[in-house]
Amino acid sequence: MAARGILLASLLLFSCLAVTCYGIVLFSSLPSTLVVTASPKQGQVLKAGEDKITVTWGLNQSLPAGVDSTYKTIKLNLCYAPISQVDRRWRNTVENLAKDKTCQFLIVSRPYDGSNKAVQSFEGTVERDVPTATYFVRAYAYNSDNVEVAYGQTTDSHKTTDLFQVQAISGRHVSLDIASACFSAFSIVSLIGFFVVEKRRGKQSQQK
Amino acid sequence: MESPPPKFALPVDSEHKATEFRLFSVAAPHMRAFHLSWVSFFACFVSSFAAAPLVPIIRDNLNLTSTDIGNAGIASVSGAVFARVAMGSACDLFGPRLASASLILLTAPAVFCSSISSSPTSFLLVRFFTGFSLATFVSTQFWMSSMFSAPVVGTANGVAGGWGNLGGGATQLIMPLVFGVIRDIGVVKFTAWRIAFFIPALFQTLSAFAVLIFGQDMPDGNFHGLKKSGEKAKDKFSWVFYYGFTNYRGWILALTYGYCFGVELAVDNIIAEYFYDRFNLNLSTAGIIAASFGLANLFSRPGGGILSDIVAKRFGMRGRLWTLWAVQTLGGVFCIILGQVGSLSGSIIVMIAFSVFVQAACGLTFGVVPFVSRRSLGVVSGMTGGGGNVGAVVTQLIFFRGSKYSKQTGITLMGIMIICCTLPLFLIYFPQWGGMFCGPSKKANATEEEYYLSEWKSNEKEKGFHLASLKFSENSVSERGGKVDSVTRPSDETSPAHV
Repeated sequence: MAARGILLASLLLFSCLAVTCYGIVLFSSLPSTLVVTASPKQGQVLKAGEDKITVTWGLNQSLPAGVDSTYKTIKLNLCYAPISQVDRRWRNTVENLAKDKTCQFLIVSRPYDGSNKAVQSFEGTVERDVPTATYFVRAYAYNSDNVEVAYGQTTDSHKTTDLFQVQAISGRHVSLDIASACFSAFSIVSLIGFFVVEKRRGKQSQQK
Repeated sequence: MESPPPKFALPVDSEHKATEFRLFSVAAPHMRAFHLSWVSFFACFVSSFAAAPLVPIIRDNLNLTSTDIGNAGIASVSGAVFARVAMGSACDLFGPRLASASLILLTAPAVFCSSISSSPTSFLLVRFFTGFSLATFVSTQFWMSSMFSAPVVGTANGVAGGWGNLGGGATQLIMPLVFGVIRDIGVVKFTAWRIAFFIPALFQTLSAFAVLIFGQDMPDGNFHGLKKSGEKAKDKFSWVFYYGFTNYRGWILALTYGYCFGVELAVDNIIAEYFYDRFNLNLSTAGIIAASFGLANLFSRPGGGILSDIVAKRFGMRGRLWTLWAVQTLGGVFCIILGQVGSLSGSIIVMIAFSVFVQAACGLTFGVVPFVSRRSLGVVSGMTGGGGNVGAVVTQLIFFRGSKYSKQTGITLMGIMIICCTLPLFLIYFPQWGGMFCGPSKKANATEEEYYLSEWKSNEKEKGFHLASLKFSENSVSERGGKVDSVTRPSDETSPAHV
């Protein structure tokens, strides 16, 4: 136990050093100290703009005290599962968190209160601009310099369990469909109209 | 008995084609035709590439993969391959006014229906059908070649083509702007992009109306009227096609055009992503750089056309060919360098040099095309234009699809291919003017008249169908170079009324 604590503390120290040296935060340098859950079950489909999602987060109580001393803000994100990243380079996972595109949608951001040991929760509606894909929820803890220092997620380290789906809005409306159809028909009809007028004018000038 | 010769605002030659190009005039019929043709072509370019800057939104709405996006990009330029050849024939038979306006109004529904696409397949289909409208390039060049005489035809073609191509760059600025305004009103982004597409669609439709109402096929009137009065013979499609298709110069120009214009289209589709990935720029910065590639068309393609005409004054057709080869090869060299440069500022400078040379080569190509055939001008323009699109399809398929080559390697290899595919220009030879390595033939029948009248059969000549070609051959003697002023002017013209 103590050994694990020392290991964790040294990892933390090392990662802080890494950040100070290069200014780049690597995901593999972050410890998984937060426990995060989300309401959707494995394989459940949520409708964007309609269904609600509840997320809870808190510090892993089995860790030694003082681990969360630098945490100032917690941000919870909706992140793409590997299956939704296939052949979609704009959603790639990279080690450098500044360039990482895995987590593109913020669910909620809250200040961190280390003295409150209770698990925090938030319930919100899935935003209407969330695309159709498979997701999990990840929380990042930020220090006062707004640099990531820890994380927690609802799925395992290989991102294979507890994944859920979101069904996006289509963006279409009946009024748009009707307008498209009407304008399209108008273009064709006006072309035919022009031809008819041209032919009639041709006949008139011939008769003169 | 005979109606008095019409007075034109610009000085004209014996075919009533303008011998001067006055950019800021809208005088009918010459300059009005110019402005109508470049604006309608610009509208088609805006529509065809309207999806490109909005892909980051569309790909999430329609759940597209990189392969879907690549395929849609290829589809957007492949439709026009055959449409351009067909448009060439349509111009020869029906006139550029009806041919272009019909195509624009027939493809407008595809742009309107982009708003209701809901899957990768429907997205690919709307981009494919919208891309057909790029065939208006051929009607633009045909119309300019019908309205402007040999000394200025390169300039007219270059400015009209270049300012139309500008649409590909302008759309990268227009569409995000329109999308932003609609989204800021409060519309959710998956609906905002759909509404935004109505703008290019309406612009396209209105430009077609303008062409139909204000346009005129030839300086003397429309094809329909001229055919009825007997001044323009109703031509046979099969012969028009035959004389165009069997002219080897048309095929060589189709190949080389694929490696200036085709390369330009391919780069339009990949350059934003290239800068975004290689230099880690954000999407709007990458988009501005992408736009500047297309916006160089404002002066570079017209510059090519003007250069072609300037060189022809002194060196004739041989000068036009040499300049085309030199400029396009330099474009290839800059392309190779672009793939190798590793710094952002260096890349931008090289990219701009590359865009100027490659677009000037497009303008220079259409300084040569009007002289390849007179009877089948439309078919040759169509073949060359279609060849441009084939180059775009082939280049994207070989170098920019899948992960075989990194983008920088693809760009370097594309540069090498440009240089190789420009070499066939050496094979072009006109008996009356020569080629790049050979001077004009010493034979007695190596004349402009012989060249252009060989496209008509003797029974057609008996009926007098060839008279327009005869006039053109007289006017094209200027392509011999050496400051020969051969442009024939109407003899009864005392003082043309200038604007």
